[in-house]
Amino acid sequence: MWKEIGDRERGILRPKSFTTRIKSNRIRTLQISNHKDIVSPHRASINSLQVDLTEGRYLLSGAADASAAVYDVQRATDYEGGGLIAKHKCLFVVDKQHEHGHKYAISSAIWYPVDTGLFITGSHDHHINVWDTNTTQVVMNFKMPGKVYRTAMSSLATTHMLIAAGTEDVQVRLCDIASGAFSHTLSGHRDGVMTVEWSTSSEWVLVTGGCDGAIRFWDIRRAGCFLVLDQSHSQLGRRPTIPEHSATNKALTSKSLSSGQNLNAKPRAQQRKLANGNGTKQSPVGRMPAKGSLRQRLHPGMLSSLDRATAHYGAVTGLKATEDGMYLLSAGSDSRLRLWDVESGCNTLVNFETVRLQAGKPIQLATSQDSALVFVPCMTAVKAFDVWSGNTSQTFRGHYEYVNSCWFSSQEQELYTGGNDKQILVWSPPRMKDLLRIGITGVIDICS
Amino acid sequence: MDKTSEEASSKGKKRQRDQQPTDPQTNQPHHQIFSLEDNLSFTDTLVALRMMRAQFPRIDKVSIQPFILRSQLYSSVKDRTQVDRELESLRREKVVRIFKLNTGQDDHAIMFLDDYLNQMENVVKRLEEKEGDQVFKWFRTHVIDSKLEPSIEHQELYTLLSLGGMVKDGHISLLINAGLLLIDPNMYWFAIPNIGSVLKGLSQGRKEVLSFLNRRRYKEMMLASMEKKCLRFSPLDMRFHLRDLIGSGHLKTVQTSTGLLVRVSKD
Repeated sequence: MWKEIGDRERGILRPKSFTTRIKSNRIRTLQISNHKDIVSPHRASINSLQVDLTEGRYLLSGAADASAAVYDVQRATDYEGGGLIAKHKCLFVVDKQHEHGHKYAISSAIWYPVDTGLFITGSHDHHINVWDTNTTQVVMNFKMPGKVYRTAMSSLATTHMLIAAGTEDVQVRLCDIASGAFSHTLSGHRDGVMTVEWSTSSEWVLVTGGCDGAIRFWDIRRAGCFLVLDQSHSQLGRRPTIPEHSATNKALTSKSLSSGQNLNAKPRAQQRKLANGNGTKQSPVGRMPAKGSLRQRLHPGMLSSLDRATAHYGAVTGLKATEDGMYLLSAGSDSRLRLWDVESGCNTLVNFETVRLQAGKPIQLATSQDSALVFVPCMTAVKAFDVWSGNTSQTFRGHYEYVNSCWFSSQEQELYTGGNDKQILVWSPPRMKDLLRIGITGVIDICS
Repeated sequence: MDKTSEEASSKGKKRQRDQQPTDPQTNQPHHQIFSLEDNLSFTDTLVALRMMRAQFPRIDKVSIQPFILRSQLYSSVKDRTQVDRELESLRREKVVRIFKLNTGQDDHAIMFLDDYLNQMENVVKRLEEKEGDQVFKWFRTHVIDSKLEPSIEHQELYTLLSLGGMVKDGHISLLINAGLLLIDPNMYWFAIPNIGSVLKGLSQGRKEVLSFLNRRRYKEMMLASMEKKCLRFSPLDMRFHLRDLIGSGHLKTVQTSTGLLVRVSKD
């Protein structure tokens, strides 16, 4: 690290690469924090964690005992152990006793993306509440047809403030805070919708994962979904390879969105080494005449409901888009984690070595800022995988029971994880003071 | 309405389509270079597949061609992503075929295409149905050749089989009875015929190996002594099961000073 500082001083290293190097070094040394502790007031499993997107200062957690709490992760409320361990107690808690609080478990608690004045909670009691943080009062309430599994708001949105809600009902509903009504209903899934995420590259695109195993991309400005991910459409690498006879072949093979006939994005580049030109493409001849009669009865936007492609063999339990919006990670109850190329809609076939993933409950994945690592709750441990090769980089064992959610704060390079053991654990790189003390005295003296 | 729109879109492509017949001619030398017989570069996955195919245990009661489980490949080749990608390119080149098995989550069986066709031949010969004969031929030439995924939708199967002749519902039930297709709501899975007893042996054998190790005091055993053990409930040998369990993560191997140790992984 000193060498890097010296290089930066001399101008050999650029500022941006200096910061990324320091950050990635710190991320590689994450361990359970010995100087920070979050005291959780929850009396049941923690289902959702999120640090606010504006300042990166306040952590919001939602638990199964219908309580939601906010903690300040930058300033401690008090210190223990002679000033060495910072204890972060919650700033406030809203639970069942609150007059408009939820009655059953809170499955999702998110901040309003613009500022920390509002937060939104979705619960198994079929309600989504919008709370005012300063007065801790419910300002708006939406009633859903089923248990709410996930809520999401777009952090890029400048023209809308829609809450996307995935419930046990097959339709995804978009609730508008400005008007207090439902603005959209997206149909296409065949079973409940366990995860919803807004795209990180467009404020109009929503990605949903259902219990039927399908992942659908919706553009909310039009009807129906424009992309359904199919696990059998795959590409060999991060981006599809450019075919040799690129001009002619591309025109022939890019029939993906022509006149709304088939809504699977087909892989474009397998031309190079194939013995025959159409190795993997389903022959369009076979598809069309059979479906012609059905097609005439459906609105072109609703054709996607005929598409039964699945992204996982079980339910889709977690989704996470990378910061640049080009890739999507999905976790399923078939214990597989898949990386999808959003542009081509293909499975990049990166194999993440997961033995078992929790099924039946949505899990929250986290990625580090440059999207090189993904943190996945695997049963009682959290594993960090390298996104491009699928190798396990680190394993974080500390929870006593299943881990449900994790959130990575890129400002502090800290990971917060919450699980069924009612604890929120903080994983942080060791402090400089500790490193020096270990180096000089050779004795680990944490609590004097 | 749909046909005209398709014509409109194809009009723009007409020029390219005219050019297409000339392209394969220039492609010919390329094809020959990349065909499997002349290809001298073997990928790790292909070597592992061939090795495991050669080591497939001989089963007396059932005549079955060798197949390899995906988890066995993961235990032999270190980089799993590379295995997935190479397997995908082998599948696209029609060297192997992948089948989804119903034993446990996400189990896939890999079979060389020639072996699969031989297996199909053996089964069809034994059935000796008169009208059925044509269905199997149509299945082989039209469906197996063009549909490389492990599953197929009803409509698509119907249309592909119709390329051979008039298809009746009875024909599809013939295929199901022969064990070539497995029915699922609205779609069919391709299956290896006559494999039922072997799959039963597979799941029982897995349970037996795991329970054997779990009963031991420290849940571990030297690999060398494990390989010599005989399994009571499975016709497949111990090496097959060990590779499968190590690849799927239920067992892990530890290098010790006296050799490899097999241990039940707790995760």
